[in-house]
Amino acid sequence: MKKLFTAALVLGFMFANGGALGHHGWSWTTGENIELTGVIKNVRLGNPHGILEVEVGGELWTIEVGQPWRNERAGLKDGDLAEGVEIKLIGEPAADKSDKRLKVERLFLGGREYILYPERE
Amino acid sequence: MEALFAALEATTPAQYLRASRWGYAAVSGAHILGIALLVGTIVPLNLRLLGFWRSIPRANLLRVLVPAAASGLVLAVLTGPLLFSVRAQEYAAVGFLQAKLVLVALGLLSALAIHRAYGLTLEGASERRVRFHALVSLGCWLGAIACGRLIAFAID
Repeated sequence: MKKLFTAALVLGFMFANGGALGHHGWSWTTGENIELTGVIKNVRLGNPHGILEVEVGGELWTIEVGQPWRNERAGLKDGDLAEGVEIKLIGEPAADKSDKRLKVERLFLGGREYILYPERE
Repeated sequence: MEALFAALEATTPAQYLRASRWGYAAVSGAHILGIALLVGTIVPLNLRLLGFWRSIPRANLLRVLVPAAASGLVLAVLTGPLLFSVRAQEYAAVGFLQAKLVLVALGLLSALAIHRAYGLTLEGASERRVRFHALVSLGCWLGAIACGRLIAFAID
């Protein structure tokens, strides 16, 4: 029995990957904003984290936007974040450079600004 | 399997929870309350089975803590799948979640087996049997809580 749950734990670590799951907080980011512009390729909005995949200069980035209430507060409507839409993103990338992942503070769609984290300006 | 998880994500409760701020928070909170009740009772219960606090009659403690632990487990098991349904396809691939489910199943099976054989108060169970169960139970539930927490940190 003890061997079994040791095995379960080991398995847990071996297969630990979150795919498109998002992060709480900002501890995993560089702490510095960067800007990316690209085209939305995939959209997974909703709790606990909203995720976009955005193609930026031939590279696919995983973009963490807000939960529904945060996106709505920023003024985003259902369907604004859709596949094929061009988007400019300002936010903090993952400190791990091999992870093409950005947590968004502000974004621009067609020239209009949407501020997800007003307190982080 | 993928199709099943996709169908789960398309259910009404999953859609509601994906969009709702306080609904999601409430279910998440209820899940934590269930875990708190379960682990908060299972730890002293198992420590008593391992020989702590011998002056307190074991049967008295079991009469209180077993139903409390079971209530916590029921609450956690009812709310867990709701949280899972919000992102079923992604969560299903997370190793910590898979490990947690294995540990929950083992912990539950161990409890069902010993209480089925010896009743709520474990009367007549050998010391060896009781201690074995207590160790398995502690390992499973503490392991499950650790794996569960790690789901939130299991990114790459």
